[in-house]
Amino acid sequence: MPQGMVHIENLVKRYGDLTALNHLDLDIREGEIFGLLGPNGSGKTTAISCLLSLLKYDRGQVEIFGEEMKPDSYKIKEQIGIVLQNIAVFEELTVQENIDYFCGLYIRDKKRRKELVEEAIEFTGLEDFRKMHPKKLSGGLLRRLNIACGIAHKPRLIIMDEPTVAVDPQSRNKILEGIQTLNRQGSTIIYTSHYMEEVEQICTRIAIMDHGRVIAQGTKEELKQMIKTGETITVEAIALEEKNLQDIRTLDHVFDVQYEKQVLIVRCTDAKHNLIRLLNYLQSQDISFGRVFSELPTLNDVFLEITGKQLRD
Amino acid sequence: MLHLLKYSFLSKVRNFNIIFWPLVFPLVLGTFFYFAFGNINEADFQTVPVAVVKEDSADPFFMTYLDEVKKSSPDLLKAEEMPEKEALEALQDKKVKGIYYVGKEPSLTVAGTGMEESILQTVLDSCENTRMTITNIMEKNPQMDVETMKTLLSSGSLVKEVSLGGRTIDGNVQFFYALIAMACLYGCFIGFGSAMGIQANITPLAARRCVTPTHKLKLILTDQLASFALGYVDVIILILYLRYILNLDFQGQMGKMLVVSFFGSLIGVSMGMFIGSFGKMQEGAKIGIMLGISMVSSFLAGLMNGNMKDMVEKSAPFVNRINPASLIADAFYCINVYDDTARYYRSLATLAVMCVVLVMASFFMVRRERYDSI
Repeated sequence: MPQGMVHIENLVKRYGDLTALNHLDLDIREGEIFGLLGPNGSGKTTAISCLLSLLKYDRGQVEIFGEEMKPDSYKIKEQIGIVLQNIAVFEELTVQENIDYFCGLYIRDKKRRKELVEEAIEFTGLEDFRKMHPKKLSGGLLRRLNIACGIAHKPRLIIMDEPTVAVDPQSRNKILEGIQTLNRQGSTIIYTSHYMEEVEQICTRIAIMDHGRVIAQGTKEELKQMIKTGETITVEAIALEEKNLQDIRTLDHVFDVQYEKQVLIVRCTDAKHNLIRLLNYLQSQDISFGRVFSELPTLNDVFLEITGKQLRD
Repeated sequence: MLHLLKYSFLSKVRNFNIIFWPLVFPLVLGTFFYFAFGNINEADFQTVPVAVVKEDSADPFFMTYLDEVKKSSPDLLKAEEMPEKEALEALQDKKVKGIYYVGKEPSLTVAGTGMEESILQTVLDSCENTRMTITNIMEKNPQMDVETMKTLLSSGSLVKEVSLGGRTIDGNVQFFYALIAMACLYGCFIGFGSAMGIQANITPLAARRCVTPTHKLKLILTDQLASFALGYVDVIILILYLRYILNLDFQGQMGKMLVVSFFGSLIGVSMGMFIGSFGKMQEGAKIGIMLGISMVSSFLAGLMNGNMKDMVEKSAPFVNRINPASLIADAFYCINVYDDTARYYRSLATLAVMCVVLVMASFFMVRRERYDSI
């Protein structure tokens, strides 16, 4: 089987007794928006740092574009754009100067660089802020500048490490839309986040990480098919007795029932009419209830079923 | 390369710490120095009015001495003969600062204490000293001519302070040499920023720069070059300000002073690079070390006490041989006071060797390609 654009094999990174990356394997194909999803401390940023040859690792292999990635792999680096989790721009330079500086580290031709800088400014919607210094920008605009500095040279591979941390919803949506546009324009994107909604929204393939290893990998549909949960039904403001709970557990396709503080959560396998069956039962027992929700499985359910804990824990 | 230099220079010039400590602070301190004591030699004394009350047994020597003082230093005293009653009234009304009673033994009466009263006392003491000198000479050489006698009576100084190199020493200039040395060392703030901005395990900005296809050596060299240039420009601005705005008279050649400043700014920037390269130590701790070294170094070179450098030379001369601020100040002395070429070149060579060692050491610390942790 041919290897992808980025190939990580058996990567191990230890900080003393702590194993940050535990035999990590990843294969990212050209044209993907590949999501690395996991809670804080799961090893996403460490994986990115090893991938970029910033960090020493104890064991394993990292290849990009079919070649081993080393600190002096300048030919490979020419084709990579990086957007770090922390804002990495010069406070003393204006928006335009910052983008020009970083673009200039990749593109030597002055005329070409000028065009690319203009495109990056336009792409990130920073036209009105080009002469401003980063200190004067809002959090969302700063994030956009951070992105512009990483993508101005039109890289083949863009690595984004939690680019939407501490960003308002409006800016977040713009950033996510921008990432999809970059992907449509031909860039392969590696996107790390602990926000499952973002990953679900934009990523074409996802690896879920925990404790430095990939616990599940695939498209979001594939991931959801890996788990038992097909539907989660939530019923609010309901008064139940133990007998009722036992009855509900015996309903067809129900495999997990939780009841706490007058909220009933019923997990069912992927089948039709789960909600109708539950409501019929409640009606037959003359049990009154408040609001009812039915949700399809999320990546959080995937994480929950595999690890036994919430993604946000 | 030009692209990197341009932005390296721009980012430094717009950084408050990089501009304040090596440039603004020394300019302000230099101005304070100037107003505190830089102008003291030219202090504008008012002529001291004094009444002279001649008694019957008036000492002719004192009257002759007063006449000579009037001739040699016409602005020093305004002596006026008057009766005692009138003199006392004038003293009370503060029209005169004192009364010379010229009797058998001249005496002085004053109504207060201050510089003018001290001048009157000094003139009186000086007269007595001169009388004793002449008496002694006359005893040993009774044939002394009148001209010699007049010379002895004149109040002009017979001693002129001249340096070994034949140039007049202005005692206050040493403070300004130490100040320039301090400004050179404060260039460490420029070098410090450069070193911090290239270590991927310290700042995200450095991490971003390290994953670009620009060779790390190129990033380091352009940053160092911009830092050295800026440090040097800062010191040149300070010297020009001291020389042409404050009108300080550095007697040596300006060209040689600029050479010293060049090596001085190199050592300051190199020191900052070296300390900035100390791995993951807290930034505040690094800045504390830098400031500490710069201040102690400048103190030992005589920034706060003019005699300090000599005291160190007597008790621990080795410190003066390795203290960068002392070496810089000493090189200025060699140009402006001693005219000692060998010592001048020795100071420069020591500074150059120290620079090379510091730059090489910091280069080997920051050139790491992969880090243990980020």
